[in-house]
Amino acid sequence: MHRFLIKTISFVLMSCLLILAIALIPGYMVNKFSKFSVKKDNTIALFGHSHSECAYNDTLIPKLTNLSHSAESYFYTFQKVKKYLSQNPQITTVLIEFSNNQIDTKMDDWTWGYTYMSNMFPQYASFMSLADFELLAKHNSKYFMNCVGIAARTNFIKALSFNYDYTGKTGGYFKIEGSRPLPSNNPAGKIIKAASNKSAISTTNIQYLRKIIDYCNGMHKSVFLIRSPQHPLYEYRNNEAEFSRIRERYFSDIKFLDFNNFPLKNDDFADFGHLNFKGALKFSAYINQRIMNGMLNTVNTASLSQPDNKTVSGN
Amino acid sequence: MLFNSFGFGIFLIVVFVLYWFVLNRKLQQQNLLLLTASYFFYACWDWRFLLLLIFSTLLDYFTGLKMYQAKTHSLKTFWLWLSISVNLGFLGVFKYYNFFAASLAGLCASIGIHLSPFTLNVILPVGISFYTFHGLSYVIDVYKNRIKAERNFIDYSLFVSFFPLLVAGPIERATHLLPQVKTKREFNYQEAINGLRQILWGLFKKAVIADQCADYANMIFANSSHYPGSTLVLGAIFFAFQIYCDFSGYSDMALGIAKLFGFELLRNFAFPYFSRDMAEFWRRWHISLSSWFRDYLYIPLGGSKTGTWLKVRNTLIIFLVSGFWHGANWTFIIWGLLNALFILPSILLKTNRNHLEIAAKGKAMPTFTEFMQMGATFLQVIFTWIFFRADSVTQAFKYIGRIFSRSLFSIPQLDVNKAQLLEVIILILCFIIVEWQGRENQYAIEKLSWLRKRGYRLTFYYTLVVVIFLFTGKEQQFIYFQF
Repeated sequence: MHRFLIKTISFVLMSCLLILAIALIPGYMVNKFSKFSVKKDNTIALFGHSHSECAYNDTLIPKLTNLSHSAESYFYTFQKVKKYLSQNPQITTVLIEFSNNQIDTKMDDWTWGYTYMSNMFPQYASFMSLADFELLAKHNSKYFMNCVGIAARTNFIKALSFNYDYTGKTGGYFKIEGSRPLPSNNPAGKIIKAASNKSAISTTNIQYLRKIIDYCNGMHKSVFLIRSPQHPLYEYRNNEAEFSRIRERYFSDIKFLDFNNFPLKNDDFADFGHLNFKGALKFSAYINQRIMNGMLNTVNTASLSQPDNKTVSGN
Repeated sequence: MLFNSFGFGIFLIVVFVLYWFVLNRKLQQQNLLLLTASYFFYACWDWRFLLLLIFSTLLDYFTGLKMYQAKTHSLKTFWLWLSISVNLGFLGVFKYYNFFAASLAGLCASIGIHLSPFTLNVILPVGISFYTFHGLSYVIDVYKNRIKAERNFIDYSLFVSFFPLLVAGPIERATHLLPQVKTKREFNYQEAINGLRQILWGLFKKAVIADQCADYANMIFANSSHYPGSTLVLGAIFFAFQIYCDFSGYSDMALGIAKLFGFELLRNFAFPYFSRDMAEFWRRWHISLSSWFRDYLYIPLGGSKTGTWLKVRNTLIIFLVSGFWHGANWTFIIWGLLNALFILPSILLKTNRNHLEIAAKGKAMPTFTEFMQMGATFLQVIFTWIFFRADSVTQAFKYIGRIFSRSLFSIPQLDVNKAQLLEVIILILCFIIVEWQGRENQYAIEKLSWLRKRGYRLTFYYTLVVVIFLFTGKEQQFIYFQF
C-alpha cells in the first residue's frame, strides 16, 4: 500500500506539474508575442457586439477600424481593448457600442455560459487577470475547467505553429445581405419584460464597461459610448428607462453618441437589432461624414446625442 | 455523479481511504461502507429512486431465501415467477409503458379507432435495466441450484448495488461476484496499479474520443436532411466511435475502480471493431449482456442445439429482446432485428465460431483477407448503428436513403473548424493504433509491451494525461445511462 500511495501521488503530482506547464508556458508565449494590429492611419477603434459589427462598414470610414465581434460581452472586449491599445499607439479615440441589450442579464450568459465561454475564453485567456479567472470560475465552476483545457489546447497549438497574430480574428465589419421579414408588431412573448426591473441587469457587464473606460482613460484615449441604430420594434428597447438610468448613473462622464433613431427603412435592417449591408452603407457614409465634420472633437455632448433626422419606421 | 467528474474523484478518494485505512480489519465493515457509498452514489442521481433500488433488492433477497427454503418444486417456481414478474413489472412500467400505450394508440388509429391512452410522466430510473438483470440472474441461479441463497442482506445488497457497476454495468452474475463479496480482500499492488491504468484508458476513451465524436455525430444526425451522403457516412462513423468509446470507456473505468477495492468484474468489451464477422462482434461487444441473454434466454429456449428453424427463431428472439432492452423505441427493435439478420447466415452455415481468437494473434498486421473481413464487419455494424442513433425509424430510413444516393461520392461537407476536425480524426487514428497494438490484452494499455522501455511507457501515460486535459470538452452523459 505504501508503495502504491507513493507511486500514485508522485504520478498525480507530476501530471499536475505537466498540466500547469502545458497551460502556462504557451499561455505566457501567446501573451508575450500576440499581435493585434490596426492600420497605421486608423486612429479610431470601435468595440462592441453584433450591432456595431453589422452597422459600421469600416471600408467607408477611413479613420475607423471596426473591431466588434458578435456575442461578445464587455468582459471579453476588455481583454481585447488592453491588447489593441497597448500595441497601437496611433489609436487616439475609442468608440464602445452601448445599446439596450448590453445591460441585460443575457450578457452574463455571454460571459460565463458554456457555449459562449468555450468560444471566447480560449481566445483571450492568456490576457486575463486572476480576478477575471475567479469571476468565471465562481459563476460556472462546472465548465470553467473544461474551458481551461480548451484554452490550453488553443494556446498550445498557437505556440507550436508560431501563430500569434490575432489581427482579423477578433472582429470586424460583418456584412449581412437582405432582410428577414419584419412583422408589423413585436411578438409579445419576445419582449424582455424583466429588463425593466433591477434583478435582470447584468452588473458584471456594466462593471466591465467601466473597466474598459477606465483603462482607456488611463491610456489617455478619448472614449465615446455609441449606440447604433435599432429598429423601433426591437424587443430590448423596452428597457429604455433603465438603460438611461444606468447610463446617467455610471457613465455620465462619458460622451454618448446615440444613433438609436437614425432614419432607416425596414429593408435597411437584417432584423430588429442588426443593419444589413444596405443599411450599413447608409449609416457608415453618414458616420464618416460626421467624423470628417469633427463629431469626435466636439465637447457638446447634447448635440451628439441628437440624431439630425426623424425616424422613418414604415415601408 | 459521472465517473469523469471532479466530484466523483473526491468521492472515490474518500471511499478508498476509509476502505483500506479505517475499516480494513473487518470484512463486514468494508462491505457496509461500500454499500453506503453505493447508495450515496445512486442517490446523487436521484434519491427518490433509491427506494425502488432497495425494494428490488429486498424482493430478490427474500424470494431467493424463500426458494431455497421451499419444500416443493411448485412453491419454488412460484417464488421465482413472483420475483421475475415484479422485476419485469417495474421495468415495464418505468421503461416500456408509454411505448406500449403509444404503439397501441398508433395501431388503433390505423384502423380508424382513436384512443387517448393514459401516459406516465415519469423519468426512467437510472440503471434500472442493469440492476434488474443483476437481481434476475441471482434468483434464476438460486432456482437452478447454481448458487445458494444469500443470507447476509448487506452482502447481497452490495452484489446488486456495488457502485462501479450500478448504473451501466457490467451486468454481474451472483456466481461470479457474490463469492468475492464474501471473501476477505487483501490490497494487491499490481492489481491496484492495473486498475488505475484501466481508469486512465477509460477516461481517455470517454472524455477525449467519445465526447469529441459526440459533437460531430450529434450535429450530423440532427441536421441529416441537409448533408450529402458522404457526410452522413462520416456521421455514422463518428457515432460508431462515440458509442464504443463511451460505453467501453465507462466499463474500463468501472473495472478499474473495482480493482482498487479488490474486485474483479466481468469483462464487457474485447476489441469488437477488430471482429471478422458479426458473430465474433457479438462475442466482443457488451459481453456481459450478450452472455446474460445467452445463459438465461437463448440456452433455455434450446440454443443452437435444435433444428434449423428453432435456431432461427431463437436468434431472432434474443436479438429482438436485446434491442428492446436498450430502449422503448422501434429504432432499437429494428437494430436488434438487423443484427439478427446479419448474424443468421453464419449460424445457419455453422461458421459462427470460426473466429474465436482475436484477429492476427501473435502477428503485427492482419492478412489482406482479415483486413477485408474486419472492414466488412465494421460497415455492417455502422449500418446498424444508424437505427440505434436515429430519433425515429423514419429518420433512420431517410438517413440511409440519403447515404445511398449520388451524394455519397461527393466530398463530405461539415460547417466546422477544419483544424479541430483534423485533430479529432488524428486522435481516432492514434486510438485505433493503440487498440490494435494491445488487442491481445484485457484492455489496450494493460501491458504496453510494444513500448519496451519503462521510460517510454511512463511517457505514454503522461501523454494520455495531457491529452485528456487538452481535449476534454463539455461533459456528456454516458449513452448507456439512459438504458
